[in-house]
Amino acid sequence: MKYLLLLNNDALDVESWQGLSQEESRKAREQEMPRWNELFGWIAEQGIEVSGQELESPKASRVVRVRNGETAVTDGPFAETKELLGGYFLAECKDLDQAIELAEHVPIVSKGSVEIRPLVTQ
Amino acid sequence: MKVIALIYGDEGRWDSFSDKERNAVYEQYRAFGQQADGRVLDGAELAPTRSATTVRVRGGETVVTDGPFAETKEQLGGFYLLECENLDEAAELAAQIPGASTGAVEVRTVSEEGSS
Repeated sequence: MKYLLLLNNDALDVESWQGLSQEESRKAREQEMPRWNELFGWIAEQGIEVSGQELESPKASRVVRVRNGETAVTDGPFAETKELLGGYFLAECKDLDQAIELAEHVPIVSKGSVEIRPLVTQ
Repeated sequence: MKVIALIYGDEGRWDSFSDKERNAVYEQYRAFGQQADGRVLDGAELAPTRSATTVRVRGGETVVTDGPFAETKEQLGGFYLLECENLDEAAELAAQIPGASTGAVEVRTVSEEGSS
């Protein structure tokens, strides 16, 4: 069963990261690395097939709507929420329980949330 | 650069569709896929948000709740991972996604670092 895991960061955290210099941002990232490596180690151990992407700041997003043939592009994000999508994993899990277990291992889950969405299989 | 296009729509509307109406929409998506050939790297359709599960860990305790993390008027129903020159081109391509005509498509830049 394939699941999309949406990695949502706390919006206040995201805001504070934006104030960081490049050097500070690199250091913060380095500090987080062991926890992510732990996650990737766990994924490998479980033999879960996972791909994923990290997203840039939601400030750089655009929202596109087409109505009556006219395209309207506005600045994103799509919704003002307390948590902001920061990345995702696409994972082939045995079942929802394994997907939940995977979510528990994602570092951001302790400050933000991980939303699990099953894929439609056709 | 890589861009993710998040497709939002009213799932109530989708729920109310007959098989014939759904197939017509799938046909539009197939046409988009052909037209955007080479620029679509990945993509998926998501099951409705009623099958969503949200996980949080607070103070070492796991809290699992049913449903999406935020209630929105339009719900995330699918996504594409696209290869584009820039965000403007991504927005142009996003306008061709069938869901842009009935809901909204949000385009977000993928980070060059930290992707697997």
